[in-house]
Amino acid sequence: MLTFLAKRTATLVAAVLLSSYAVFLIPYVTPGDPVRKIIRSRVAGDVVDESTVKALSDSLGLQDPLPVQYLRWLGDFFTGDMGLSHISRTPVADQVIPALGITLSLVIVALGTAVVVALPLGIIAALRQGGRTDKMITTITQSFIAMPEYWLAPLLVLVFALKLSLLPSAGWSTPASMVLPAATLALRPISFFTSAVRSGVIDALEAEHIPAARARGLSRTQTILHHVVPNGLVPLSTLFAVWFAGLLGGSVIVEVIFAIPGMGRLLYDAVINSDIPLAQGGVVLVVGLAVAITTLADFLHRILSPKVGGTLA
Amino acid sequence: MRKLGQLSAMGLAALTALTGCGLSGGGTGAASKVADTNQRIVVDNFRAPVANWALESDAAYILSLSGCLETLTKYDSAQGKVVPFLATEWKQASPLEWDFTIRDGVKFQDGTDLTAESVAASLTSVLNAKVPARAFSPSIVSKVEATDANTVRVTTPSESPLVPFRLASVNTGILAPAAYQGATVDPFGHCTGPFTPVSEKAKQSLTLDRNGNYWGGDVQLAGAEVRFITNGATRATQVQTGEADISLSIPASALSSLENAPEVSVLKADSPRTATLYMNNGRAPFNNVDFRKSLRSALDLEALAASVYEGAALPAAGPFAPSEPWAGTASAPQQDVEEAKTLLAAAGYTADRPLEIIAIVERAEFADVATVIQDNLKAIGVPVSIQAKEYASAEPDVLAGNYDMILSQRNRLIDIADPIGFLTADYTCKGTYNLSHFCNQEYDDVIAQAARTSSTEDRYKLYAKAGEILDAEAVNLWLVNEQATDALRSSVLNYVQDPLSRYVLTAQTSKSGS
Repeated sequence: MLTFLAKRTATLVAAVLLSSYAVFLIPYVTPGDPVRKIIRSRVAGDVVDESTVKALSDSLGLQDPLPVQYLRWLGDFFTGDMGLSHISRTPVADQVIPALGITLSLVIVALGTAVVVALPLGIIAALRQGGRTDKMITTITQSFIAMPEYWLAPLLVLVFALKLSLLPSAGWSTPASMVLPAATLALRPISFFTSAVRSGVIDALEAEHIPAARARGLSRTQTILHHVVPNGLVPLSTLFAVWFAGLLGGSVIVEVIFAIPGMGRLLYDAVINSDIPLAQGGVVLVVGLAVAITTLADFLHRILSPKVGGTLA
Repeated sequence: MRKLGQLSAMGLAALTALTGCGLSGGGTGAASKVADTNQRIVVDNFRAPVANWALESDAAYILSLSGCLETLTKYDSAQGKVVPFLATEWKQASPLEWDFTIRDGVKFQDGTDLTAESVAASLTSVLNAKVPARAFSPSIVSKVEATDANTVRVTTPSESPLVPFRLASVNTGILAPAAYQGATVDPFGHCTGPFTPVSEKAKQSLTLDRNGNYWGGDVQLAGAEVRFITNGATRATQVQTGEADISLSIPASALSSLENAPEVSVLKADSPRTATLYMNNGRAPFNNVDFRKSLRSALDLEALAASVYEGAALPAAGPFAPSEPWAGTASAPQQDVEEAKTLLAAAGYTADRPLEIIAIVERAEFADVATVIQDNLKAIGVPVSIQAKEYASAEPDVLAGNYDMILSQRNRLIDIADPIGFLTADYTCKGTYNLSHFCNQEYDDVIAQAARTSSTEDRYKLYAKAGEILDAEAVNLWLVNEQATDALRSSVLNYVQDPLSRYVLTAQTSKSGS
């Protein structure tokens, strides 16, 4: 157990360091002068005064060698200071924490919906393996994979906001405003989750202990509920964690279309504007949380599935 | 006292057209509707504040359009001149000094009085910003001070007739001293305008209530919510569903659906943005004026405007939009392939290599524009290749003169309501943003003279002359003038469109009851 946690903590630290350094380098390895990008973000327009470039560069310490700049950020970070945004000059924490909260809410609702939908569909498909119901469920859910968010989101807005006037077209102010973005994000996970549950349940149905359970007098329903479904859920936990981690920073399209001030949009804007402290703060939080979630999923997986090893070494 | 000035009748008429006078809202049946002063209004704006509420940033536009922030002077689109706002009059006290008389009886929303001291402190704060606004920076303004209880003096390092224009820039908005007490600017309760900001949802919206003590008369709305919706399609949808009352900057792709939508009006006005094919005048074959003219004759601008821009832009007649008071009377050039071929022969052009057009990826439509141009030029025997690039990656080569052509678009009035900054930076020999590497002494002399000219009318004539030189030299290919397009619900009353979206909510803006 301790070894497992120690390994995962080391992974977490390494991931945070690597990702923060990679983000730190983005403005320097992409075309254009980072200082000019910052200035253009503050005062829109193309013409940039050279004296302003120099003054800002000096005041932000951007003239220093890159390792010095990075170590300065790292030192501040380990004392709990994520620094000030280059663009807004407000604390990074004041921007990334609310954005993370919004994206977490969105992702939890989206993936929760996906689980609620995928679970019964996957179980039914497995129990009707090869039949018409199985084929129908599989065909429909697999088609969701081919529905990109930039296509699906406007379609949902057209139907539910514009034509039916049932839901708000954008914003993040009421529970109703969460429905369309969450539905947009949920559709593709539904497809993957359904497939995973179906496979897990089929594997469980073919396991040796199932006939034994029936021989002990358990009904088919009892057998499915107590022996098949729990085993069928094992692959779902890992898949859920992967999707969760991916959507934390990867929901930018949905956040832009639905005007949601979440983490995807924040990171996208920060990188475009060369707002290095903001991008670093956001990425560190997302990566840290992603590693923590996948660790938790692995932990649960090992507890739920003896086949994985049964120990947490 | 020297108040800025009377425009010619032509200029007035032109500006009226430019800035959408006569395009006041609301929509269907608005004339028969009665304002309900208990109504609140929702405006979908196309940008969010990125630099907190720093006045040197775009946040000033948001505070101004929201009816919070006010300036000493104001650019009146209908009259086509700078008019009093928080200053009642102004005069050039000496070649380097302008005195502004502060309006009596104005209170900030926190109850404190607007005084010359508070105005001077507010403007000095803008001047001292780490990244100063282009309209009001230390290179343009040396000092701001109160000379008595009602007078603010603005000192410039060199004679500048444009100081009253600069003080109409939203970046020079006036806030109460309390707004500057913290580490960042706090506009809440510190403006002078008809609406007081009361709450903000970060990156989402700004909520404002009526300022019951507004100096400019009774405010006709109870309050407003300005939403920050960067996606154009979402703004278009919200005005259709009724979630928004006014949506600013509607994308071309949404125009047809909005124009057919019930209870929605679409307002259009010339914007000061012209999509332009910049040509590198500093190297062959573009250093030959006949070659540049031949390319101009080869282009079918009407087809370009109709196809790529879906009618949301009009063919450009030159460097200015036709409705701008400093624009000439020429009409958009017509495609003439035979003339283009003749000019090409006169230029002695041989197609020894394909010429390259850089289409910057930040403007998605430029890929299609480049393709249309490629087809047009192929018809006269000029092979063209297209390269898509981020602007940041193209800029160093473009500024250094290592390019053939680049599609770009500049806002002529981005800093102040006068094109002097644009004409200087983009086309003078020492211009800091001279992408076309054009250098012409006659042009430089005209611009230098304009910069010294106090009379607005005379200055506009000089701008027109400068435009004629650029057009005669075919410095660039001006393609289409974009239209500023807003949409509003029919319940909105007394809305006057501003192509630059500086003034959206005013004391007069109102809404009928549901």
